[in-house]
Amino acid sequence: MLCPSMSNPFREDLVSRARPEACSVVIFGATGDLTHRKLIPALYNLAIDGELPTGVKIIGFARREKSDDVYREGLRELNEEVSRNGHDPEIWKDFENSIEYHQSEFQDEDGYKRLAERLEAIDAERGGKGNRLFYVASAPEYFDDILINLKKAGLNESVDGCWSRVIVEKPFGTDLASAQHLNQVVNQTFEEKDTYRIDHYLGKETAQNIMVLRFANAIFEPLWNNRYIEQIQITCSEHLGMEGGRGGYYDNAGALRDMVQNHLLQLLSLVAMEPPTDLSADGVRDEKVKVIRSLRQWDTPELVSENVVRGQYTAGHVHGKSVVGYTEEDRVDPESMTETYVALRCMVDTWRWSGVPFYIRMGKRLPKKATEISVHFKAPPNVLFNASHSEADEGNVLVIRIQPDEGISLRMVSKLPGTSLRLEPVKMDFQYSTSFGKGSPEAYERLLLDAMAGDATLFARRDEVEEAWKFIDHIHNGWKHNNESATPEMAEFVAGSWGPEEADNLLVKDGNTWRRL
Amino acid sequence: MVEDKELMLGKRVPVEKIESELHLLWAADEARTNASLMNLAVYSECESALVDNAAIVREITREHACRALLIALDKKSEEPSVSSWVTANCHLAHGQKSVCCEQIAFSLTGHSRGRFRNTIFAHVQSDLPLIFWWQGNLSPIFNESLYRRIDRFVIDSSSWDNPVEQFDQACEAVDKVNLVVQDLSWTRTYHFRLAVAALFDDPTLLKFQDKVEQVKLVVHPDNLISGLQLIAWFATMAGWERSQDLISDKDDVGSYRFSSKSGNLVDVEITTDEQSAAIGTLEVKSGETVVSITREAGGKYLRQQLKNGAHEIDVHGLADSDSMADLVTDQLSRGGKNSLFKRVLPMFMELLKSK
Repeated sequence: MLCPSMSNPFREDLVSRARPEACSVVIFGATGDLTHRKLIPALYNLAIDGELPTGVKIIGFARREKSDDVYREGLRELNEEVSRNGHDPEIWKDFENSIEYHQSEFQDEDGYKRLAERLEAIDAERGGKGNRLFYVASAPEYFDDILINLKKAGLNESVDGCWSRVIVEKPFGTDLASAQHLNQVVNQTFEEKDTYRIDHYLGKETAQNIMVLRFANAIFEPLWNNRYIEQIQITCSEHLGMEGGRGGYYDNAGALRDMVQNHLLQLLSLVAMEPPTDLSADGVRDEKVKVIRSLRQWDTPELVSENVVRGQYTAGHVHGKSVVGYTEEDRVDPESMTETYVALRCMVDTWRWSGVPFYIRMGKRLPKKATEISVHFKAPPNVLFNASHSEADEGNVLVIRIQPDEGISLRMVSKLPGTSLRLEPVKMDFQYSTSFGKGSPEAYERLLLDAMAGDATLFARRDEVEEAWKFIDHIHNGWKHNNESATPEMAEFVAGSWGPEEADNLLVKDGNTWRRL
Repeated sequence: MVEDKELMLGKRVPVEKIESELHLLWAADEARTNASLMNLAVYSECESALVDNAAIVREITREHACRALLIALDKKSEEPSVSSWVTANCHLAHGQKSVCCEQIAFSLTGHSRGRFRNTIFAHVQSDLPLIFWWQGNLSPIFNESLYRRIDRFVIDSSSWDNPVEQFDQACEAVDKVNLVVQDLSWTRTYHFRLAVAALFDDPTLLKFQDKVEQVKLVVHPDNLISGLQLIAWFATMAGWERSQDLISDKDDVGSYRFSSKSGNLVDVEITTDEQSAAIGTLEVKSGETVVSITREAGGKYLRQQLKNGAHEIDVHGLADSDSMADLVTDQLSRGGKNSLFKRVLPMFMELLKSK
């Protein structure tokens, strides 16, 4: 019985966060890109910063035949390339000793029995039972097999006060039905409190700062409602297309499922939520899910047509280079009807947000990489300066830049120096890079520590995921409608431009325009 | 020296023109970003410290954008005078943008009531916190009218001639105005504390802290204060209380006795060694269980070992830097109200006074 009173008095006050506990981390999909580029470097950087509890064991579970040494060598090569804190051979030597490789097919029950024996041996070496953290980072088609086999091997059970938790990577389903099925399988295996659905956007420093900005500064929250805010825009623009064989996955997903259902709706919920009663995981998630639940449903093809625009890029130029159109990309169906761009007009039907449109746009092959939220305040009354100077008609805009160039800026109107009265918009800018020289930890570092500490605040809860799918499914159903005259069209735009004209028209109807990034 | 000064301190300007000269500095190059998140005042009563401190501040500004105020006061000189210089410390942020921080240096001579405070506070950027790094012994200038305006007070108690008296002065300020004191001696123990915490995460050590029989610590003679603070921290966190001390017959050994929560007696021995790193070895023993953390002099790593029967851990972690710039940088990164230090302070003072 080693886990029930794991209190370590020397951790107290050393860091101001919930304390992660020593555990064995089993990564399914251990030979994949995510493990090599994100998970192992995240764990390594935690080790360098002294945040990783001593005694954490990492077991990579995958199908390919590999020795521990060959596996570690592959991890080392990539860690040298991508690690945030650089690569220190001495620290790595110790760190890699905590990594082992476990070869098994995901469907092979025997592989899980061997895994259980292996984990027990590790625990025994440490003097008893231990905590387990299972990270499901495999291709989504194996999620069911992995979870069911974990249960069969008894690895899902929290025994003798030790915990057993699971982190599930996206995509968390491909629609409401598959998400419900997956949730059912997960919850038959692990309790909801032990289930961590990861959305790495929530681990980003700037996303976490949204709540701080809103609720720790007295000047914003009184204005954060439909009396003062005209519209809110959430933009996620990527300049990349389908490099690295990504077309195969993307052509089955599309922009709406790949980004909007999870990351962008999570951002929307952080921006629109009511203040939580406390900062507990459920306190915060209760408020977030209310926002998703309050989204007006676009549940007919007509409503989808009026409020959602989908598009595909055609050949063009990005960053000065010629690029092919989407349907000419590697591993993409030439007849594909998958959207690489989507723009939505969302309405949050709550007292606070009644009448305020939330515009979301996401696209591949746009001019640059940028994710931001812009809050557009209403223009002041049309008297005094505004009577004759159109510049002042533009209201204040608060921009929260999620990536890159993380920061916050506020646009306001100022008098141009001179004898005449001319007004111009100016910008107050806060940048993380200039204010805080120290680099932010990677999102995965924070999220892995949180899972080890049992803090699920930055992870999606079952109802959040399902409510988001419900909203997304209505749009997909509208796109799939049999009546061709009612089915919304697929718009086209030239790669390297800011999306189709139809997306601009979506805002024009409300008298608005997309913010120029 | 004069050349060094001009190089490190920048343009010599009359005190009344400091702000206008700084404006000219920015106007000269629009490509630079002026960044500031705090006021960092570095005070020394050694006139020659200005150039050394300018070099340290240049390093600090790589991570902490600040308006730096370097102050050197020569109290021995009879003639009161003030000289000042302005410059900017610029660094490329993420290889792209040149981010610059203002630096104002003051050289004051002679004693004149209130002149020091007035000169400095006239050049503090409003609304930004004031971090005041006091180098050397606390002098009468460290009084309530000064520390009442300070947000964080950085000291290095390892440089003090009379630590008991100086700590009493600092504690008085803590009591009076809740001054946040950040001692670089304490900062030097950070990675040792982190290593102790990490080793005690091991489930096999769950009840070990209650069974500890012996603690041995080896420190460099210059870092005895850090050693006492580390022991005070260990004892406070483990819930130990002071017991009758042992008497050591050696000059370089300090012996202390504690009783654990369960009433066991714990003997603690602190030895100084010229060849040791700032903190060289911490060894915690109980029967056959040994937890040890060691650092070679000048070494970059801490070796963290645990031996508990057949169960062994032997890993390396990063050690605290010996560089003053790194220590202050780390301390500024942590921020906060230093509540842990305050919690440990009573036990530390008890150990310090019993020496």
